[in-house]
Parts: sequence; structure tokens; C-alpha cells
Amino acid sequence: MKTVLNDFDVRTKLAIAAALSTIAVFIQHVYVLCFILFLSVLLSFLFYGNFKKTLRATRRLWYIFFAIVVLQSIFIKSGSQLIAVGSFSIISAGGLLKGAEFLLRMSIIIFTATIVASSSYREVVQGIVQLKIPYEIAFMVSVAIRFLPILKEEFSDILTAIQLRGLDIKKIPFKKRLKVYSYIITPVIAGAVDKAQKLSIAMETRAFRAYPKRTSYLILKLAARDYIFLIFLFIFTVAVFISYYLFGFPGRIL
Amino acid sequence: MGILRGTYLSYIKAEKICFTYNPGKPFINCLDIELKTGQFCSIMGPNGSGKTTIGKLLVGILKPSSGNIFIDGNDISKMSLGHIGSKVGYLFQNPAFQIFAATVFEELSFIMTLKDYDKDYIESEVDRVLALLHMEDKKFSSTFSLSYGQKQRLALAGILLNKPHYLILDEPTTGLDILRKQVLAAVLKELMNMGAGITVFTHDYEFIKNFGGRILKMDRGVIIEDRIE
Ligand SMILES: Nc1ncnc2c1ncn2[C@@H]1O[C@H](COP(=O)(O)OP(=O)(O)OP(=O)(O)O)[C@@H](O)[C@H]1O
Ligand SMILES: [Mg+2]
Repeated sequence: MKTVLNDFDVRTKLAIAAALSTIAVFIQHVYVLCFILFLSVLLSFLFYGNFKKTLRATRRLWYIFFAIVVLQSIFIKSGSQLIAVGSFSIISAGGLLKGAEFLLRMSIIIFTATIVASSSYREVVQGIVQLKIPYEIAFMVSVAIRFLPILKEEFSDILTAIQLRGLDIKKIPFKKRLKVYSYIITPVIAGAVDKAQKLSIAMETRAFRAYPKRTSYLILKLAARDYIFLIFLFIFTVAVFISYYLFGFPGRIL
Repeated sequence: MGILRGTYLSYIKAEKICFTYNPGKPFINCLDIELKTGQFCSIMGPNGSGKTTIGKLLVGILKPSSGNIFIDGNDISKMSLGHIGSKVGYLFQNPAFQIFAATVFEELSFIMTLKDYDKDYIESEVDRVLALLHMEDKKFSSTFSLSYGQKQRLALAGILLNKPHYLILDEPTTGLDILRKQVLAAVLKELMNMGAGITVFTHDYEFIKNFGGRILKMDRGVIIEDRIE
């Protein structure tokens, strides 16, 4: 999907993701987190424009997050009691706040990731290379991105195959689960090793080496709009940190 | 097993199934297909014609977007994979996905061991399927050192432990030499004689000439020919 900001340089997008998630990790304040989440949703919309896809792709994660939020709210006791049975507090204000912070932080990380994902994977790898990150790492990233969907499909085939053999994974007692997982992992690893071997042979035959100096067909160039955006981003990030750590704004809630 | 030869009973039946990998581009549109016991059926078609897709739909690995599939009269959308596996055995195109353990014996016994079956029973079952596939001498071999054809027969052995009434094999002859193909053909004929129904997805006409029976041809998700040889 083409959106307004789609043709920004991938490095600008990486910088946005880095800046916003750094703020989210270091500043644990609900108001700040809400604001950053609002920003990342807005940017994600402008860059990527496909919320449905994001939500569908991360559906499972949200269930897990929600479960963690509920647990955190129950186990962290501070502030006034909101729900209590007798003198036993079930949900306290502090617990609820911690749960909300967690949910906000995770949402920010996911939405900023979709900003980067709006570039093609070739651009992401080239962006990493041009950021002077060693080519070995960039290459690993590209291989991982390339093979992840295949591994996912293989994994689901394997999971189906073991169930067709008459093993109902849900009915296996907890103690034996570990054993079952070890059986599932065997073909996954065998498949991955096999693919790695074939890939390395294919690369050898094409005389591929991870030379540090490489020419590339795709060269990314930062445009004026990227510089302007990056400067704004830098000022914004520094301002948020200074205001929070030096001036204590916004102040504590509880 | 033990169905009268010559009577062909409907075993797997797909009614008006539709399926697509990417929304907006239907791949299989309103397909009907019926597979019968006691009969050898081959489904042929070029690469990408949808053989694997249909095979996976028939055993519930893929879910049709509309239409129903019945195995032995039961709607498969209401059956667990384990239940389906006890009626229909499905051999994946790549046997490596179906081999889970380090030795042949463990591969064939681990599910029964997890289910706490009796040791003697496990032993006798493993011997039974190994004998069916002429692999007795490999009982204690490592699965990693097996050849491709042996891996495939081992995967088939694992499936046969469930005593399915019907077998669906996806491209069972790729990577097999002439001799191994003959071994496989002999094994399949034996299973047919025991009453199992078999469907093979393949483009290897030489192989299915061994059997005769019914031949379906498909192209781009549509059955274009259905004949008996
Ligand atoms: N997981 C998938 N996602 C998207 N498209 C797929 C997927 N699997 C198969 N297809 C497409 O569906 C079509 C049918 O594929 P299928 O694997 O069923 O063909 P096939 O007849 O088994 O081919 P082969 O002889 O190569 O095994 C192909 O065009 C293929 O590109
Ligand atoms: Mg196929």
C-alpha cells in the first residue's frame, strides 16, 4: 500500500523506531507512553497504512500481553485498592498502572516495527549495510527474513504430521510435554541444517563471500526531507528525556 | 480393513469445496471429488496444478473456505487431526517432515510410549509395520543414516501404525530409483490386497501403470479428466 510517507529512507524509519522504543523503554510513565503510542500509531498509519494486517499478524501476541497485564495487575500491590475481597486486595491502582505501562510499551514496539516493515526487506538490509554495520550481520538478517516464512510453513506441516500420527498435543499431560516438543524440534532443526547446507553450497558455486567491501545495485540516499525529519526526531527525543529527568515533567502519578 | 474386493465404497468425499491461498484469487473453485475404497486412484497434473493443495484439504491440513469434506461419513471440520489420522494416512511430499526420532524403533514407538501402551504390544506393533514395509533389518538403525527411499518407507510405516483404511500419498516416487519404485509398488499392492484404498498424487505415469484403476487429471485446480484404466 502506498501512503504519504512511504518513500522516506529506511534509515529514517529505523531511527524513528529506535528513538520511540528507547523512550518507551526508559520512561515508564503512563502519560508519556500514551503520547508515544499515539505518535507511533500515527506514524505507522502514515508510513504503512495497513492496521488490519498488523493486528491480524500480531493477534496471538495481544492475547499473551493481555494475560500478562492481568497477572501483573493482580500480583503487584501498591497504591490504593480498587477491587478487594475482605482485606485481601485483588487489583490495586499500582498494579493496574504497571499492567497498562507494559501494554503501552509493547504496543509502541510493535507499531514502530511496522514502520520499518513498510520498506522492502532488500531496502532494510541495504540500510543496515549503509549504517556501517558489518556485512556478516546484514547478511544474517537478510537470510533470516528470507527463510522465516518457509520455516513457519514447515513448522506447521510438522505439527500437523505429528498430530495425524495420533498424538493429541492438547491431551498430553504436562510432564510429557517437554518430550513431545523435543520430537517436534528434531525435523525442524534437520530441515534448517539441510537448508543451510544447500544454501552454502549454492553460494560457493557462485563464488559468494561476505567481503566487507561490496558494490551494490541499490544505493540508498538520504533526501532533504529525511534530514529535516531526523533533526526533528532528534530534538523531540532529547526534549522528552530532558523534560522527564531534569525537570521531572510529567510528575509521578501515584 | 477387510473390505470385499470389487465393491467400491465411497470413503472420502468433498462437496463443492473452494480454497484460496491469497484472498481475491480463488485457486480451487467449487470442486467435487469422491475417493473409494478397494480402488487404486491416481491424481495426475503438472507442477503447481494443485495436487498437494487438494491432498492437504482432504485430510484437514488446509481448511476450505466453503464446502464440506467427509471421511467415512464424518464431517472433518468436526474431527481432530488424530481422529482423521486413524482413518486416512497422509504421506507428505517430503518425508523429512514426518520423521521425529533418532532411531527407527523410537520413531515407530514414541507415540505409543507417550500414551503409556503396554511394552509387548508396542514391540509387536513395530514389528508388524516393519515387516509390511520389508524393513526388519533396519529396526535399530539411526533415522539420519537412512536413504531417501528408506526414510519414505519409514514415514509410511509410522502412518500404518494407525491402521488407516485409506492412504493418500503425495508424490511418493520423487527421488526413488527404478528398483525402489518397484519396492514401493509391491508394498502398495500388498496394502491394497489387505483392503486399503489408496490415492497417489503424482506425475509419474510409469509408476501408476503398475496398478491401473482410476486416473484423475487436473490442471490449475480443476479436474479435467476422470477415467478407469
Ligand atoms: N503456501 C502457499 N502459499 C501460497 N501459494 C501456494 C502455497 N502452496 C502452494 N501455492 C500455490 O498453489 C498452487 C498449487 O500448488 P500445489 O503445491 O498444490 O501444486 P502441486 O500440483 O502439488 O505441484 P507439484 O507437482 O510441484 O508438487 C501453485 O500455483 C502454488 O504456487
Ligand atoms: Mg505437490
